[in-house]
Amino acid sequence: MSALGAPRGTGDATGARGNHRPATSGRPRRRDPMTWVQRGGLSSIVFALPLLVIFGVFSWWPIVRSVVMSFQKTNLVGTPKWVGWHNFQYVLTDPDLPTAIRNTLYFALLALVIGFPVPLVTAVLISSVRKRKGLYSALAYLPVVVPPVVAVLLWKFFYDGSADGVFNTILDWVGLGPYTWLSSPSLAMPSLVVEATWAAAGGTVIIYLAALISVPDELYDAAEVDGAGVWRKVWHVAMPQLRGVLLITFILQIIGTVQVFLEPYLFTGGGPANATLTILLMIYNYGFGSSLGGNYGAATALSVMLAAFLAILSLVYFKLTSGWSKS
Amino acid sequence: MKFSRRTTMAIAVVGALALGSTLGACSSDDSSSGDSGSTTLDPNTKVTLNVVGLLPGAKPEAQQALADEVADFQKENPNITVKTHDYEWKATTFAADLAGGTLPSVFEIPFTDAKTLIANAQIADMQAYLTQLAYASNFNKNLLQYGQGSDGHVYAIPAKSIYAIGLHYNRDLFTQAGLDPNKPPTTWEEVRTAAKAIAEKTGQAGFAQMSKDGTGGWQLTVDTYSRGGRMEDGKKATLTNDATKASLQFLKDLRWTDNSMGANFSYDWSGINQAFAAGKIGMYTSGQDVYTSLVQTNNINPKSYGLTMIPLSGGESGVLGGGTMAAVSSKASNNEKAAAVKWIDYHYLRKYTNEGAAKKNAEIQVASKQPVGTPELPIFTQQQYQQYQDWIKTYVNVPLDQMTTFTSKVFDAKLVNEPAIATQDVYKALDTAVQAVLTDKNANIDQLLTEANAKAQRAIDAAG
Amino acid sequence: MTGQKGTTMTVTSPARPPAGEATPAGAVRVARPVRKPKASHFDGSRGFVSDQDWRNPRVSVTMKLLHWTLLALLLVVGIGPMLLLAKYAITPTQDIIRTPLAVFPHGVRWENVSEAWNDVQISRYFLNTIWLAAGSWFVQLLVATTGGFVLSVLRPAWAKIVHGLVIATLFVPSVVLLVPLYLTILNPPGIGTSLINSFFAVWLPSGASAFNVVIVTRFFDSLPREVFEAAKVDGASSFRLFWSVVLPMSKPILGVVSVFAAIASWKDFLWPMLVLKDQAKQPLSVRLPAIAQQTDLGVFLASLAISTLIPVVFFLIFQRLFLSSAGLGGAVKG
Repeated sequence: MSALGAPRGTGDATGARGNHRPATSGRPRRRDPMTWVQRGGLSSIVFALPLLVIFGVFSWWPIVRSVVMSFQKTNLVGTPKWVGWHNFQYVLTDPDLPTAIRNTLYFALLALVIGFPVPLVTAVLISSVRKRKGLYSALAYLPVVVPPVVAVLLWKFFYDGSADGVFNTILDWVGLGPYTWLSSPSLAMPSLVVEATWAAAGGTVIIYLAALISVPDELYDAAEVDGAGVWRKVWHVAMPQLRGVLLITFILQIIGTVQVFLEPYLFTGGGPANATLTILLMIYNYGFGSSLGGNYGAATALSVMLAAFLAILSLVYFKLTSGWSKS
Repeated sequence: MKFSRRTTMAIAVVGALALGSTLGACSSDDSSSGDSGSTTLDPNTKVTLNVVGLLPGAKPEAQQALADEVADFQKENPNITVKTHDYEWKATTFAADLAGGTLPSVFEIPFTDAKTLIANAQIADMQAYLTQLAYASNFNKNLLQYGQGSDGHVYAIPAKSIYAIGLHYNRDLFTQAGLDPNKPPTTWEEVRTAAKAIAEKTGQAGFAQMSKDGTGGWQLTVDTYSRGGRMEDGKKATLTNDATKASLQFLKDLRWTDNSMGANFSYDWSGINQAFAAGKIGMYTSGQDVYTSLVQTNNINPKSYGLTMIPLSGGESGVLGGGTMAAVSSKASNNEKAAAVKWIDYHYLRKYTNEGAAKKNAEIQVASKQPVGTPELPIFTQQQYQQYQDWIKTYVNVPLDQMTTFTSKVFDAKLVNEPAIATQDVYKALDTAVQAVLTDKNANIDQLLTEANAKAQRAIDAAG
Repeated sequence: MTGQKGTTMTVTSPARPPAGEATPAGAVRVARPVRKPKASHFDGSRGFVSDQDWRNPRVSVTMKLLHWTLLALLLVVGIGPMLLLAKYAITPTQDIIRTPLAVFPHGVRWENVSEAWNDVQISRYFLNTIWLAAGSWFVQLLVATTGGFVLSVLRPAWAKIVHGLVIATLFVPSVVLLVPLYLTILNPPGIGTSLINSFFAVWLPSGASAFNVVIVTRFFDSLPREVFEAAKVDGASSFRLFWSVVLPMSKPILGVVSVFAAIASWKDFLWPMLVLKDQAKQPLSVRLPAIAQQTDLGVFLASLAISTLIPVVFFLIFQRLFLSSAGLGGAVKG
C-alpha cells in the first residue's frame, strides 16, 4: 500500500510540473542512430508497438476505411467501385430513414424523461439515509449486474401480450389491461425504454450518490445558518453541486441512446411496423440484414453521418467540461 | 477455375456416361467406378465436407437419423468425411454467414435467391458435377431454371421442400370448437368463421400469420395470389392491387373485428411452427412440407395435425410455390465440389429416382421415428414422384389421411412462382404493412400499401 | 463492440473535474475510493438532513416514510424480477405460461435446471464468456499500460501525435467501425486467414480502447517523476522501469481498467454475434437469444437464471469493488 501513497502525496505537484517539463530522456536525436537507441528511442517503439498495431488495425484504419467505403460500392468479390455521393443519396432518400430518426429521437427523449429523474430522486433519497446506505445502493445497483441480454430476454417474457403475461396479470389485479406491449406500435417503444432504464439506472444512481456524498458538509452548515430547511438544502445546495455531473450524464446519455441497438434488435427487431426501427438497426440491416449480401456502402454512409452528428455532440460536451475546469 | 471449364466439361460428359448406368442400377457401386477425371473425386485424397444438417434445436431422434445417413454415406464413400452443421436459412443472417465464410460448403437457399448469388459469383458452377448424375436431365425445368446462371449452367440444384403453400390446422382445436376436422374451410370466409369459433371456444388463436423478417411479405404474397393478384409485373411493383388490399382487410377483420388471432403478432417461420405444435394456433399458412420440421423440431402430436388447400378465389388465383436448393460455396475446391455432388445426390435426390435408395432412406428415417412421406411437389416428373411414393408406401408414418383435402387437389391447382426481382426486399416492404394491420387498429391499408409499393419499386430499380 | 461504446463515449475528458470538485488531479481522485475501505464507502457523510432536522418530527416522519417507500420499491424493482426468474427456473412450463405469478400450483420441476445445464450446455457458453472476458482484459491491459508508459513516461517526440490520434478516436462512435472492422476481421492484414470464429476477433479489437489509454496515461502522469529519474540513474532499462517501478505503483488504475474491461466484455453482444458464428465459440449473450425459440420455456428461463446467478453472486461477494468502480465511472466521466 505504500506504493499507493506515493502518487497521492505528490501527484498534484508532479502532475502539473510534468506537463511543462523539458524532455530529458525520451527525445530522439535523429542524426545519430546509436545515441537514439541508447537513449531509449528503440524501447519507445517497442513499448508503443501494441498500441500502434492494435489501434492501427482495429481503430484508425477502419475509421479511414469507413469514410472511403461510404463512397464505394463493394460486394466483397470484385474490386470496389467509386460511386461518388450515391450511397449518401441512397440513404437520404430511403423512406425508412425519417422513421428511424424519429424513433431514435423518441427513444432518447423517453429515456431522458424516465431515465433522468428516477435515478436522481433515488440517489438524493439514499444519500439522506443514515444507516445502511450500502444496502440501498446495492439494491439499486443489482439490475445492472444482470447481463443485458438476459435482462432483455427476461423482460420480453414479462411483456407477453396475452392475458396471462406477467405484467398483464399484475395489471389485471388493479383492473387494467391486457396490453399487447411489444406488439403495439404505441407501447413498444416505451416498453423498451422502461426495460433499458431498469437495466441502467442503478449505475447512474451510484454516480449521483458519489457526487452527493462529496458535497462538503460546510455548505449545508452554511445553509442551515441561513435557516434553510431540508427541501431548500436539496434544491439550493445539493443540486447546484451536482450540476456538472448531471449535465455530463445528460449528454452521455443522449450519445448512448442515439446508438441504441440491443433493445430494439432483441425485443422487436424494429417492429411492429417499424415502430422501433432505430438508426443503428438500419445500419445493421444495410450491412448484414439482407440475404443477398450487405449494402456496405449505404451502411458506412449512414454510419459516417451519424458519427458526424455524435462528434459534434461530443465536441459540445468537451467544450462544456473544459469550460468548467477553467472556472 | 474459369479457364479450365471447357476441359472439365468434356471430361465430365465422359464421366457422366460412364457413371450413368452404374448409378441407375445400383447406388452403392458408384464409389468404386465414379472416381475418374478431374471433376470427379480423386479416390486418394481425403475430403472433409461440411454440410448443413437439421434445424437448430432438432430432437435427438432426428439427429440420430441424420447421423445414420452420414455413416451410411461414408461407408459408400470412404474418403469423404461429412460434418453436419445446424442450419436455418434466415433472410437476416444469411448474408453475414456467406460473407464471413462461415457457411458449410454445401448449404441450402430458397429458390428466389439463387440468381443473385450466381450473378455475384458467390456460389459455385456445378454443371460439370451435376451431369455426373444419371437423372441430371430429368429435372423439372421450371424448378431447374431458378438455379441456372446467364451462361445456362446449373449453379444451385433443386433439392428439397418443393412446396405449394397449404393451410395447416389443428384438428383438436377444430373439434373443441365444434367444427368438423374432416371438413376444413375451403373459402376465406369459412376460414374466418372457423377462426372465430376456435378463438371463442378454446381461447387460442383461431388463425395466425407470420410477420417478421420477410415472412410477413411472403405470406401476404400467398394470400394475394390466392385472390388472383400479383406483386410484380415485369419491373414494376404492383403491391397496391385489390387482392393484396383484400388480404390485408381480411387480416384486419380477424384481428380487430373478431379478435380471433391471439396475442402474438411477431411470428417468424420457426416461431409460428413452435406455437402451432404447442396447440396455440388453430390455422396458419405455410409450405406444405412443414410437417417434417414440426415433428423434427417441435414434437407435434400427429393426431392433431391437418393440412388442406389454401382457399382460392378469382380467375387468376393460384397457389404460391417455392422450394429449397442446394448450393456449394464458390470457394470450394474441385474435390469438395465432387464430394458435394455425391452428398447432394445421396442426401437429397437419389431417393426419388432409385427404389433401393428410397427404401433405405425411409428405413433410416423410420428407425428413428422420423417422418416419411410428407407430401411434396415433384422435383422431377409427376410420374417419377408417384413411383417414389409407391416405393416408400410401406414406410409412410405421417398421417396422410389427414392431408387428403390437400393432396387430392394440389396437382390441379395453378402454381405461381414467387416475385422474381428483389424478392426479399419486396417481402420486407410488405412486412411493415402486415405488422401495422395486426398491431394498429387504425392502420390505413391504402396508405400502407402505397408506402410499401414505393419501397419495393426502389428495391426493384436498385436490383435491375 | 457495443460494450465498448459505453465506455469509449463516456470519456472525452476524464481528467477534467467540474467545478466544485475538491481534488485537482483526476487520476488521483480516481484512485481514492478503491483504497479507502470503510463500513460502506458511502457512509460517513452527513448529507443534507442534519441531526437537527432529524429531531424535527415532521421532517423525521416524512423522511422515514420516504425511505421505507424507497426500500420497498427497490426491493420490488431490484430483486423482484430476479426472484420471479428464480421461481420460473423450477416451475413446470405449463404453469409458467398459464399462471406466471402463482406459487407452484403444480409443484416444482427441478429438471429445468439440470436440462439447462446439461442439454442447453450453459456451462460451456459460460466458459466461453469467461474466456472472452479474460482475453479482452489482457489485451486491454497490455495496450493501455505499454501505451500509457510510452506516452507518459518515455515520451518520445512522436508521442504527442500518437496521443492526439488516440484521443481523436474518442470522438468517433464505435458504430462507424461496425462494417469496416467486420471486413478487417474477414481479411486481416498480414495474417491471410479470416479471424471469424476466432476469439482473437473479439480480443484484439477490444484493445483499441482510447478510454483505457487516456486514464492510464493520466495516472502515469501523476506518478512522481523523481522515482523514474532515480531508477534511470541506477541504470534501470526501460523494461525494468516499466515492470518493477511503474506497474507496482499502478495497482489502483489497473483495478479500474480491469473492472471496466470485465463489465464491457459481459455486455458485449453485437460484435461477438457478428464474428463468432460457430456456436461452440459463442458467449452466453449470443447463444441465449439464438436458442430462445427452440427451447422449452421452463428450461430456457432456468438457463437465464443460471446466467444471472453467477454475476449476481460475484456482485454480492465483491459488492464494494463493484459499487466503488461504478462511482468511479462517474468520477472519471466527471
